[in-house]
Amino acid sequence: MVSLHRIGRRLGGVGVAIGLSAVAFAHAQAQRQLVMYCSVDEKWCRAMANTYQKETGVQVDMTRMSAGETYARVRAEKENPHGDIWWGGTGDPHLQAADEGVTEAYQSPMLPKLRDWAQRQAERSHNRTVGIYLGALGFGYNTEDIKKRKMTPPACWADLIKPEYKGEVQMADPNSSGTAWTMLATMVQLMGEDKGFDYLKALHKNINEYTKAGAAPALAAGQGETLVGIAFQHDVIDVAKHNKPVAVVSPCEGTGYEIGSMSLIKGAKHLDEAKQFYDWALSVPAQSIAAPNGSYQIPSNPETPVPPEAPDLSKIKLIEYDFAKYGSSATRKRLLDKWTTEVKNAPK
Amino acid sequence: MTIRAVEFRAVSKRYGAVTALETISLAIDRGTLVTLLGPSGCGKTTMLRLIAGLEQASTGQIMVEGKDVTLLSATERDVSMVFQSYALFPHMTVLENVCYGLRASGIRKSRAVELAQAKLSLVGLSGYGARLPSELSGGQQQRVAVARAIVLEPKVLLFDEPLSNLDAKLRRHVREEIHELQRSLSLTVIYVTHDQQEALAISDRIIVMSMARVAQDGTPRGLYEQPNSHFVADFIGDANIVPVVIEGRQNELASVRLGPLQLTLPHHGAVAGPAELSIRPQAVLLSRGTSGLSGRVERAAYLGSHMEYWITIAGLDKELFVIAQDVMAPLGVGDEVSLTFGRTGVALVPREHLELG
Amino acid sequence: MQRPPRFPLIWVAIGAAALLAVPWYGLDDRLSAPALFAGVPWLWPLALPLLLSLCAVFGRPRPHLLIAASAGGLLWLVLQGLLIIHRGWTYAWLIELTGGSGPTQPAMGWGAAVYALACVLLLAYGLACRGFCKGDVFVAATLLVVVGLIALFVFYPVLCILASAVRDNEGGFAPEQFLAKLLSPSIWSLACLTGAHGCGVAWNTVAVAALVGVLTTLLGLAFALVALRTHMPMKPLLRALSILPIITPPFVIGLALILLFGRAGMITMWIGNLFDIPRSRWIYGVPGITIAQVLAFTPIAMLVLLGVLQGVAPSLEEASQTLRASRWYTFRSVTWPLIRPGLANSFLIGFIESMADFANPLVIGGNFNVLSTDIFFAVVGASHDQGRAAVLAIVLLAFTLTAFVAQRFWLGRRSYATVGGKGHAGIPAPLPGGLRIACYGVIVPWLLLTIAVYGMILIGGFVVSVGRDNTPTLEYFWTAFSIEKGVGGWFLSGSAWNSFIVTIEIALIAMPFTAALGILTAWLLDRQQFPGRRTFEFLAMMSFAIPGTVIGVAYILAFNVPPVSLTGTGTIIAISFAFRNMPVGIRAGLANLSQIDRSLDEASLTLGARSFRTLRRVLLPMLRPAVVTALVYSFVRAVTAVSAVIFLVTGRYNLATVYIVGRADVGEYGIAIVYSAMLVLFMMLVLLLIQLFVGERRIGRRVDVPPIDAPATALAPA
Repeated sequence: MVSLHRIGRRLGGVGVAIGLSAVAFAHAQAQRQLVMYCSVDEKWCRAMANTYQKETGVQVDMTRMSAGETYARVRAEKENPHGDIWWGGTGDPHLQAADEGVTEAYQSPMLPKLRDWAQRQAERSHNRTVGIYLGALGFGYNTEDIKKRKMTPPACWADLIKPEYKGEVQMADPNSSGTAWTMLATMVQLMGEDKGFDYLKALHKNINEYTKAGAAPALAAGQGETLVGIAFQHDVIDVAKHNKPVAVVSPCEGTGYEIGSMSLIKGAKHLDEAKQFYDWALSVPAQSIAAPNGSYQIPSNPETPVPPEAPDLSKIKLIEYDFAKYGSSATRKRLLDKWTTEVKNAPK
Repeated sequence: MTIRAVEFRAVSKRYGAVTALETISLAIDRGTLVTLLGPSGCGKTTMLRLIAGLEQASTGQIMVEGKDVTLLSATERDVSMVFQSYALFPHMTVLENVCYGLRASGIRKSRAVELAQAKLSLVGLSGYGARLPSELSGGQQQRVAVARAIVLEPKVLLFDEPLSNLDAKLRRHVREEIHELQRSLSLTVIYVTHDQQEALAISDRIIVMSMARVAQDGTPRGLYEQPNSHFVADFIGDANIVPVVIEGRQNELASVRLGPLQLTLPHHGAVAGPAELSIRPQAVLLSRGTSGLSGRVERAAYLGSHMEYWITIAGLDKELFVIAQDVMAPLGVGDEVSLTFGRTGVALVPREHLELG
Repeated sequence: MQRPPRFPLIWVAIGAAALLAVPWYGLDDRLSAPALFAGVPWLWPLALPLLLSLCAVFGRPRPHLLIAASAGGLLWLVLQGLLIIHRGWTYAWLIELTGGSGPTQPAMGWGAAVYALACVLLLAYGLACRGFCKGDVFVAATLLVVVGLIALFVFYPVLCILASAVRDNEGGFAPEQFLAKLLSPSIWSLACLTGAHGCGVAWNTVAVAALVGVLTTLLGLAFALVALRTHMPMKPLLRALSILPIITPPFVIGLALILLFGRAGMITMWIGNLFDIPRSRWIYGVPGITIAQVLAFTPIAMLVLLGVLQGVAPSLEEASQTLRASRWYTFRSVTWPLIRPGLANSFLIGFIESMADFANPLVIGGNFNVLSTDIFFAVVGASHDQGRAAVLAIVLLAFTLTAFVAQRFWLGRRSYATVGGKGHAGIPAPLPGGLRIACYGVIVPWLLLTIAVYGMILIGGFVVSVGRDNTPTLEYFWTAFSIEKGVGGWFLSGSAWNSFIVTIEIALIAMPFTAALGILTAWLLDRQQFPGRRTFEFLAMMSFAIPGTVIGVAYILAFNVPPVSLTGTGTIIAISFAFRNMPVGIRAGLANLSQIDRSLDEASLTLGARSFRTLRRVLLPMLRPAVVTALVYSFVRAVTAVSAVIFLVTGRYNLATVYIVGRADVGEYGIAIVYSAMLVLFMMLVLLLIQLFVGERRIGRRVDVPPIDAPATALAPA
């Protein structure tokens, strides 16, 4: 948020400081600050930053980037970190960052109160990251198109490889999207590596585009750019909330999930503020910000009211997702290379 | 030893493989008007720009008033220049243009305006100070450029073909104004032109240049009457160049045979054997007798103040161009005439291997 | 004894102050002590060059000593910075040699910057004393400073890319990985020719770029021919067209195409409902990228070709006609050969622009990858392979530089159309009938498409969902640009404000530097002689051919760690703008300077004004059109830039274009389009205001360049 007054001052400052631009950037900030890298939906990111700033007076500089971009940024900056906290985004890059030691271990007093999957995420990383929400994988389909073509709505992963979906399924590229990586890892865990890849190869024939961003297929399904979009269920629900004709499906075979995580960046310049934010982000008021801003994941603090729109966890068959194995760089690199050569580059 | 206004000590200038000036050494006295004369591309403008500091010498030394200025920039030299295009700053008024150099050297404004006004009235432009250069005629612009240059009272004033943008009548007028100004202010002026008449009219001394070298250096009269090369003879004024044979040399003089005529002339370093004779058109005297070379009038032209004839001579494969003052009883085409030569206007030049411009 | 000159004394004093009183390390936060008090012994030798300089100035001037001392100071500054960084010795052999990790130091800061400047200026003074730049200190100093800045902000980063390409992700030296990555089939595979797989990304890029180059040239030629050789009233239209690509953020056209021709696009839906044609996703990939880029770059080709066609003297064509040639024969045998070099030039510009384009392939590329997007995903994608990014960047750079060199050296000598502004009598030959009809046939549909695209940009953000639900709405607009009244007064609560204001702020700051750098460089190139002038010109113009994504990656590699650490600041964004847009200023400056007679500055010099005064009092007043052009273009291009800055933005310095690309990337087209429309309108307003402002203040009776030519000179790299 920027007040008009501040803009006036800033623009006036530009006029004066044109010759001394470097100085213009150097003006010391007496205010307390927090540099936040945020990897969820823009709206939610902004609400988190604004609310925290409002409640504490700490000035939050928020940058929204996908989890992959943030991970790259944090790695690139490891010699001279600019960010303080990395909030949100799928858990794998957080685990990788923990693995590489570019994030800082911190045990929040809130930790014991969290749901067990959130605590397990902390254990796995030796407290370098923690779970803040859970989102299940699924897909959405365009209800109008399905009706128009008189098709039965898809209900299982197996439906998506049927020939009538040729060129009608969209998913993200696991090389660039955490969502799609979760999907790849889910298939391997659900069916075993060989069968899983057979499935992905069959699916490849129906894919119209591997998008860059994980949430894009959900939106595309809503807008009718594709019939089916594979994405996290909460992303599909968000699109549906915007009056788009899209319905969410939790696949019958069972599905994987992500644990949205949060990490402290090693060498943070505003460590105190970052820890304060960390604790706050695990509290009920902070986690309640999600639903009003169009994010319907399961919050990690059990006392936070689960939004009614959120997918009912009891009706979703969650697989035993092995985060340790599928979060490790080696497995990841091997499977991604395999997917790229055997699936993505395969003829249709 | 007297201090010279400008001195070149073995100066040469090269642009990559091209030589613009080849080892020039010369000195220019204070208070004289010296003209650099030559065809385009001969190096005269380069020489001027070297003095101004707009180019830097490749080798050698340039002295102005006894001070070595070889490495000084144009700004640091006490030399002003009037450009061919006048180079008046189009966005400044006439007065601002004239004040410019004074203000640049740190003279306060009121004083600068005073000096500038004085110089503007000297060139007859008082009252024009508030105009823009584009509102003046060519001649007036030229005078502003001169005022702008002399207001700084430079040690040396340079002119780069200053008259070439003026029409013929104005040219003669402005030429005289410059000459007058130079004499009354005792300025040292170096003047570049390719117009030999202009050079002859105003110079104390003319330096003729050709192919990056000095071809000849002397007074207007000396150059006209005693050219030391085919090139100079041909470039300054009109000249008939006639092949001759030097039969003998004695001291400064050589005896030359041209048909039946025996001439004795200063030899200018020409050795015995084939040479060339430069004969000015006015130096040929025509008569109807048989005392000299016999020739025949091929063409004749009446020009009001004088007559021009083209005359063939037996044994010479070239027509001679002759100017005669007698317009009352002109010769007719086909008339047989006898040719003799006057005392001046005939000079021996060494034979050149290369035919030049 | 002569009084010592003032200039070197002042700069020795400033250099000393930099060592004694200015914090040596750090730019904004965590400032350190001055160099001599920081307790860092390897900084002490920096005082020596200053002492030697003093000796060189007092008494008999000894320029050799001054040159040696200041050059030595600079060298030592660079060496210690490169050898010792925050984690100790930079190079493994130093660690082996000394047996320890070595001393450490943070990134250089203000003190180092001022000291370097002092040394450069002393060096310039020393060289000028030796006759360098005709002994003009100001020229020598300007030249050295500009060269130094280009070296630091163009060459050093590019070198860093080259260096990182031969390293693995852990920073170890791994040339065999480099070769493997360079020769990877994912770059060079030609499998698409046999139909089985997709081709390598390098061939993809070249193919699209060549296609775009050909199409933009043909379209541009059609426009130019119709404008100059028919009676169609085209002038206002062409003017509008020539402005469009400048004020349009690059990805916007791709976005609009999706909204029009996407599977659920407006036109697709309409045709689908009309003829019951199954909707397809044909626009994603090569067709979309090509159409978007051709839309974006045709106006540039048009401007280039207008200039070329105007340069063909009508008297030549008239001569041909008097020799009994028909109109068609005249066109084929006279006009066409004369404009052929211009066509090649226009093709190469389109080729380079297409290669460097990042945002359109990102938005509309679908599964079709090109080098610029691949570089981006190699850095930010899940594989996080900086080495691969560097290799791809080198491949891209090799392509664009080859095209650039070809354009400058090969075409430079073949341009027939360089008649120096002299008017030619005669009337240009009208077009042969068939050709005229062909031109109209190409232009009219294209104009309709352009209108549809820009109409979509302007209204697309104000309906609920283009094509599906065309109810007008202000929802997206308010989300982005709302203003609310809170406790502390009115405040801007919209999500776009922050990036919008930061963008304008940084663009404004970069603006004067870009213009100054460009105009000064143009002045050096046009008016000064110094050894290596040709090379200097080539290097200065070369940054045109370095794609933004390459610069972005290079800046991250070069300026994230000591000796110069700038990432995360607004300064680095402003710097990237200044050096990317500098060629615009150079072009404008060169074009304008060539119209000002050289004798004007020579007159000023012989009147005793120094070159600085000459520049300020004589040239700058006359260079005003160039200055304005440079300022406007640097501002507008900074606002619409995306490819380089996408790597450099941070929370505090988030930029409008990056924000929009982010929205478009996750499919939030409403906000993306509404924001783009606001940017386009804002920039139109800026251009109009400047036109008004400058229009009132024309100077003298000088004939201004017709406005239609200005962008041509500013944009065309040759």
